[in-house]
Amino acid sequence: MRLSARQSIAREARIFAMMIETTRFGTLSIDESRVITLPEGLPGFESCRQFTVVPHPGGDDGKDGPFEWLQSIEDASLAFLAMDPHHVFPQYNPHLSAGELQSLGIEGIGRDSARVYALLTVPKGDPCGITANLMAPLVVNCRTLLGKQIVACNENYGLRHRLLPN
Amino acid sequence: MLVLTRRLNQSIKIGDDIEITVIEVRGDQVRLGVAAPKTVSVHRKEVYLQIQQENRASAMSSSDVPNLDAVSHAFKNRESH
Repeated sequence: MRLSARQSIAREARIFAMMIETTRFGTLSIDESRVITLPEGLPGFESCRQFTVVPHPGGDDGKDGPFEWLQSIEDASLAFLAMDPHHVFPQYNPHLSAGELQSLGIEGIGRDSARVYALLTVPKGDPCGITANLMAPLVVNCRTLLGKQIVACNENYGLRHRLLPN
Repeated sequence: MLVLTRRLNQSIKIGDDIEITVIEVRGDQVRLGVAAPKTVSVHRKEVYLQIQQENRASAMSSSDVPNLDAVSHAFKNRESH
């Protein structure tokens, strides 16, 4: 019994020194500081609880663009293109219930408490038609890296908000 | 699915912490009150389904890593104005 307890502790420690396979990015080494845990998963993906943040490859001048990927650790083929909506919409102000923020251990989505991600959808063959889900941002506690997708109460934010004008 | 019949002002308890009450019945509309811990999210089902659907669309739309250089470029041009 002592042996199996030691084995399970060793197994947990290995999670954060792990390499994972991904369909988009090949083999990735996981950095513990970039692992986000979603205790409830995401609507439509309730069993996917752990994601690592990967910068979007490419960019002509080498500077990091706003785009990031939330790569599932449990499912090699699952990843979401995402970005902080404030980058394109500096006035973005989703009204999120205090209770749901509290369940993440934060009071607001200021830069010092939270990271906010909007999941992005890219129409096939039309990257400039890229849209952001502003209605339900993914909110992550900066400190604990626990996150949840929370539906905003204000009605003017859409599911498919264009990033660029038509 | 568990199906229960309630009259006006009657309630249903889900677990220890969630209670749903029939507040008003008017024609074909039923007004429901939901008492739940603040940490539990409560939404009209259509909203939940929309989020679910959009998450799936997002995941599928990016199965090939798209080239977003044109988009990043357009952002930079906007910033410089």
